[in-house]
Amino acid sequence: MKITKLFQRGEFVITGEVGPIKGAVSRDWRVSPSCAQEAWHLQDFVHAVNVTDNQSAVMRLGSLAASVGLKQRGIEPIFQLTCRDRNRIALQSDLLTAYSLGIDNVLLLTGDHIQLGDHKSAKPVFDLDSVQLIRMAKGLQAGHDITGHDIENPPDMALGAVVNPNFEPLDLQLLKMRKKIDAGAEFFQTQAVYDDRVVDEFVAKTEKFGRPIQLGVVMLKSPQMGAFMNRNVSGISVPRAWIDEIGSVDKADRKKKAAEMMGRFIARHKDKFQGVHIMPLGWTDVVPEILEHAGISVAAAR
Amino acid sequence: MHATIQKPITEILRFIRPGEKVFVVGCNNCAWKCHSGGPDETKAMAERLTRRGVDVVGYTVPGPQGMSLCKLDHTRKVLQQDYAEQTRRADSFLVLGCGQGVHTVIDATDGAMVHPGCDTIFGGETVSESDIQEFCSLCGECVIEYTGGLCPMTLCSKQLLNGPCGGAEKGMCEVDPERPCGWVLIYERLRKLGRLELLDAYQPPKDHAKWSRPRRLEVSPFEATFCSQAGRVTVSNQD
Repeated sequence: MKITKLFQRGEFVITGEVGPIKGAVSRDWRVSPSCAQEAWHLQDFVHAVNVTDNQSAVMRLGSLAASVGLKQRGIEPIFQLTCRDRNRIALQSDLLTAYSLGIDNVLLLTGDHIQLGDHKSAKPVFDLDSVQLIRMAKGLQAGHDITGHDIENPPDMALGAVVNPNFEPLDLQLLKMRKKIDAGAEFFQTQAVYDDRVVDEFVAKTEKFGRPIQLGVVMLKSPQMGAFMNRNVSGISVPRAWIDEIGSVDKADRKKKAAEMMGRFIARHKDKFQGVHIMPLGWTDVVPEILEHAGISVAAAR
Repeated sequence: MHATIQKPITEILRFIRPGEKVFVVGCNNCAWKCHSGGPDETKAMAERLTRRGVDVVGYTVPGPQGMSLCKLDHTRKVLQQDYAEQTRRADSFLVLGCGQGVHTVIDATDGAMVHPGCDTIFGGETVSESDIQEFCSLCGECVIEYTGGLCPMTLCSKQLLNGPCGGAEKGMCEVDPERPCGWVLIYERLRKLGRLELLDAYQPPKDHAKWSRPRRLEVSPFEATFCSQAGRVTVSNQD
């Protein structure tokens, strides 16, 4: 189901995220890859699950194969598609393939640079940027490819995009967000945000944009992870207060603490957004707790 | 200019077979500025090779300072006439210049064996005598009118045309925290110029057929024709 239908109904849309495994899916149907198991934990609490595309430029199982795998298991996937590894022919072909295999939602992104990943000598593609990709996907919906040739049975998928509220200067990031809207983006998920002021400035500047936005949150598991993200994860900054708070409890209690902190943050801001995108980084089992702390009815998602 | 950097001597030595007679050629323009193949470096290379047992039959850097090795007629005259005796004895030519210069030596010698003595790394601006920086990727389809003259194909690690990705951190690129995000540079420049409206328009995908290799330029005093996989495009410089 297209998640844009949920936004249209005025539902608060909750999505999760899993990363495909580094490896192939077993031919033994009784063996499920870990990403499918994570998605299972999530499925009763979210509307859909993002499937990342060679996230952080680390080579993995394809996002489309993993998305189809989730769909077959009854979980609604959001197929992430990046410009890093595919030229315009491959991007369009993958969009047609995705729709043909039953995918209803795609998230169209630039992609992390190859230098951030595990294949640093690979040739970066970036034939299109994300704005051009969205426009091309919209064109496929309208029945033609990027060169103007007609296509048979145009695909009809919800077209999502991303925006980073942490970006400085924010106006430059919003200029690109506007271009994504003009190109055909139907909903947005934000990069992980931890800072209340960042949220408020972003909301103030985008509330008239007229597209549903999901607040992105990443589980902060430990103070070390906060420091690591500040050092290594592009476009995310974790304030000192978060790092101190998660560090204030013993390791054994951190999962509970992380869920509480994240829940409190979502509770403070949920009314300003049309949904939340939770990136639990493997701690999928505490997502119900996060939602409880956030005061979001779990049943709402199903 | 074409920025070049000398290959390590150990790599160059692997190119040369036992007993091979080598003539060393430098470039009096770009490679001179890069200290990779000017008169001093070319003489030094001949000596470094000789010290390591290589039979160097001669060396030269064609033309006065500022003369490019890639100017074929001049390089041909120097190698085939001025240095005819040495070049006739040479089994191969070690070229201290860019890849264009290497090919020029092939043409100038009617097809002799060549060895690249340098890696050709980019086309750049000589910011100072000790600093050469890349501002153009030679893509064949210039888009910098709407970016205040700053090239997103070069300054943005992902070559994005419609604004930044989300990866920059405090204005620095996700690929290299020491280097500014190209789009932040473009934005700040246009903001200072009061021309931010230039960024509003959608920029279509590049025509990569214009970035096809190899390309060719046919020139006359009145017009030029750019030949690529995108076809032949002739532009007058008179109308």
